[in-house]
Order: sequence, then structure tokens, then C-alpha cells
Amino acid sequence: MIKFNHVYKIYEKNIKALDDITFTIEKGEFVFLTGPTGAGKTTILKLLYKEEVPDMGTIIVGSQDITHLSSRKIPFYRRSIGFVFQDFKLLFDRTVYDNIALPLVIAGENNKYIKKRVNEYIEKAGLLGKENLTPWHLSGGEKQKVAIMRAFITNPDLILADEPTGNLDDESAWEIIKIFEEANKNGTTVVFATHNKELLEKMNKRIIKLLQGRIV
Amino acid sequence: MYAIKEVFTNFKKSGFMSLISIGTIIITIVILGNYYLANESIKYFLSKIENKIEIVVFLKDDVVLEKINNLVMELKTVSDVEDAKFVSKEDAYQEFIKDKEIFSIMQNFETNPLPNSIKIKLKSYTKKNIDNLINLLKTKEGIEDIQYGGKEIENLVNILNVIKIIAIAVGIIFVISSLFVVSNIINLTIYARRNDIYILKMVGATNTFIRIPFILEGLIHGFLGGLTGWFILYIIVKILLTEIKKQTGLDFSTFYLFNPEFFSFKFLFASISAGILLGFFGSLLSLGKLKEK
Repeated sequence: MIKFNHVYKIYEKNIKALDDITFTIEKGEFVFLTGPTGAGKTTILKLLYKEEVPDMGTIIVGSQDITHLSSRKIPFYRRSIGFVFQDFKLLFDRTVYDNIALPLVIAGENNKYIKKRVNEYIEKAGLLGKENLTPWHLSGGEKQKVAIMRAFITNPDLILADEPTGNLDDESAWEIIKIFEEANKNGTTVVFATHNKELLEKMNKRIIKLLQGRIV
Repeated sequence: MYAIKEVFTNFKKSGFMSLISIGTIIITIVILGNYYLANESIKYFLSKIENKIEIVVFLKDDVVLEKINNLVMELKTVSDVEDAKFVSKEDAYQEFIKDKEIFSIMQNFETNPLPNSIKIKLKSYTKKNIDNLINLLKTKEGIEDIQYGGKEIENLVNILNVIKIIAIAVGIIFVISSLFVVSNIINLTIYARRNDIYILKMVGATNTFIRIPFILEGLIHGFLGGLTGWFILYIIVKILLTEIKKQTGLDFSTFYLFNPEFFSFKFLFASISAGILLGFFGSLLSLGKLKEK
């Protein structure tokens, strides 16, 4: 599913964010990326969703070599992936419904389909009755649920999550994890960046540990 | 549908900015419109005046008719000359005594004091054309005097040309500055919404999808600016026409520029189109920067 082959990423002032990274993640795997702040977790995710370009090496996702994807193709590539960020990245002037519907609207789906699907996901997330509220009126856990539903609504093969539980209390965090686990059981590949040790121990999944840009 | 929602959100978020952008387009449209109307009016009245200007060549009494006719024929072949016409002293006399005062003056003369003359109309009254003709006439025999009321007209044309150039310069400055204002305001909107744009990009929005609302916003600003600009011009013209009618009794409302067919339809259409073009190019200018964000 994902292949990193001797990938290097060097930021200005010779800071090596990634230093010869090679790994493979199989389709349907649930993998944790872990390591202290600045270890390179976020850089790996940024390379995967094409916000950054590697300085050396190749990255393959699915059957596609995304190392030098043209800027024209990037939006369509991103539609095949779901993202969840620590800070939710929701549109705060839009309702819960609009936020979840966004990827479908962008993909140009028809309104009837969007309505049916979004309502289904609102129910799944336990947000019934809150669909017309803006994110201002939601708790942290609820905001993250909206973000997750937005990521899942297109049925992506791959979900990338960058510290999605970082801003949440324990109870909400476990609720969120369960959603990821269930999606993974249904065949979705999950790459989950976190430095939450308790989470890593309890989940018992494969861990890619990073330190100063290298896999250890 | 999404794009229209976006436009409304932007307008709600930055209504004051939108008003500045629309206001600048209004000012530009009013200035360009004023320039156009003034220019057209000047052109129209100049052509009316030019039609009445004639160069009159007075001939000595001893020139025989055959020579005069030859001269008229020769003048007609000159390329700048629209028409040349012989006016006999009798014809001139008949023309003069139509005026009662002149008639009473003429009574004092025993014989007709008026000379034979040739009236010449030029195709256009530029200094060069007039000088060429006068130099040509100076080489001819039997000419007593040459008169033309063109000097003042020539000066007037020169002054109007200078005014025209100034107006064009002011117009260009305003077109450029309104493009900048519109594009900068859309830039600010893009900056204010950079997080939202990032989110849109992350969930797979193409650049076109992100741009459409901003372009639409520019177009709407342009439309509103053009419409309001036209309305302001309409009011100005109405007030001016009423004032002119009150002061001088002249009714210009029949003049083609100010009749409803032109002013309320074609001119309205042109103002709105100009506004929309300004808004469109203003927003395009700012969208180059979208890519980098």
C-alpha cells in the first residue's frame, strides 16, 4: 500500500527532517508513527498527502508513484485519502453538516447522494441534532468526530491521522480510537502519528519509531 | 451552489472591504463615463461648428468670369477641399440684404460694394490644411483678400485636444488604481481565509474550485459598481440638462447621447460591462498568489 524507499527531506539550514527512511505498510494495516516532537512523524504524513516533496528517494502509494506528482493531479490524489489533524481543521463558519459534506461537494457528487450519506455519518458519529450547529458550539471530542467523519465520508483506502487525540480528554480519545479501529477492521489502511505511550501499549499494533529523522 | 455560499460568507466577513472595492469601481465608472460623454459631446458640437466654417476668397473686380471658374475648378481638385463655390457680387448682395439693418446700410451705396468671392469648405480644419490652402491661394492672381474664422476654432480644437489627453491620462490612472484596489481587497480576503483554503486543498479541491468564489466576488463587485456608477452619472446628467434648460433654454435631452435609447440602455450596458471587466481582471490579478498558499 505505502512504500518509502530511501527518502530524505532536508529543510533550510541543513535540518534533516528525514534521513534515509525506508518502510512498507501493507494494505489494511494499522500502523503507529511515534517518536518525540521533531522526530519526523508529521513530515512523513506531509509527504504522504503531498504538502511536501522529498529531496531524495521515492514514495509509492497504492499503485501510484507520488514522488513527483504534477500539481494538477494532486487534488485528485488527495481525494483518495482521508486526513485527521490534531487541530481538527474544520470550517468554522460552516455547519457540522457542511463540514462533513465538503469532500463530496468538492468531488461533485449529486445532492441527493450527499444528503443520504452525510446524514448516515452524522448518525454514526452520534451527532444527530447537532448537524446545523457550527463547530464553535461543539466540544473538542465532537469537533474531532466531525473531522473524522469528513475524512471517512468518501470511503478512502488510506487514512492519515496526525495526533488526532492530542487535544482530547481520555474518554473522548478512546471514542475516537474506536472509530479508527472499526474502519481498519473494514479494510481501511490507517497511519496514525502519536506520542501517547499508553495508547501504543493498549492498542498492540505495529509501531514505526522515529528519532531525529531516522527509524529506530 | 458552494461558490455562491462562499461569496456570501466572504461578503459577511469583510463587508466593509467589499464596499471599498465596489466604491472604487463606482468612481472609475463615473470618471470614464463622464469622459466618454464629454468627449462625444465635444466631437458632436465640433463637427456642427466645422460644418459652418468657410474660407472666403474675395476677388478683384477685374477678374473675368472664365478665370474665376477655372480657379473654382482647380480648387475642387485639391484633396483637402470639400467644396468650392463661386458667389457673384449680385448673389452676395441678395444674401446680405435679407438682413434689415444691412439693407438700410446698403441703401447708402449707389452701386453694389460687394466683391465677387469663392467660398471654400475644407474636409477638416487643421492648421496644416488651412496653411496649405492659403499658400496655394497666395500664388494666384486677382485675389483681394482671404478670410476665415478658423483661427479661433483651431485654438479651440488645440485646447480640447489637451483636455482630452488629460482626461485619458486620468482615466487610465483610475482604471489601474481600481484594478489594484479590487485585487488587493480580494488578496486580503484570500489572506483572511487562508486556513479555509488550506482545508479545501487538503480535501482535494482543485485550484479552479477555490478560485471560482473569488472571481464571482470580483464580478459581483464589478456589476454593483458599474450599475451604481451609471446611476450616479444618470443623476448628474439629469441635473445638468435641467440646469442648462433653465439657464439657456436649450434642450439637450433630444441629443442622441442623452436620449433614453442610448443613455438608459446602451450606456447602462456599457457601464455594467466595464465594471464587470474591472472586477474580473482585478480578481484574476490577485489569484496568481493563491497557488503559493
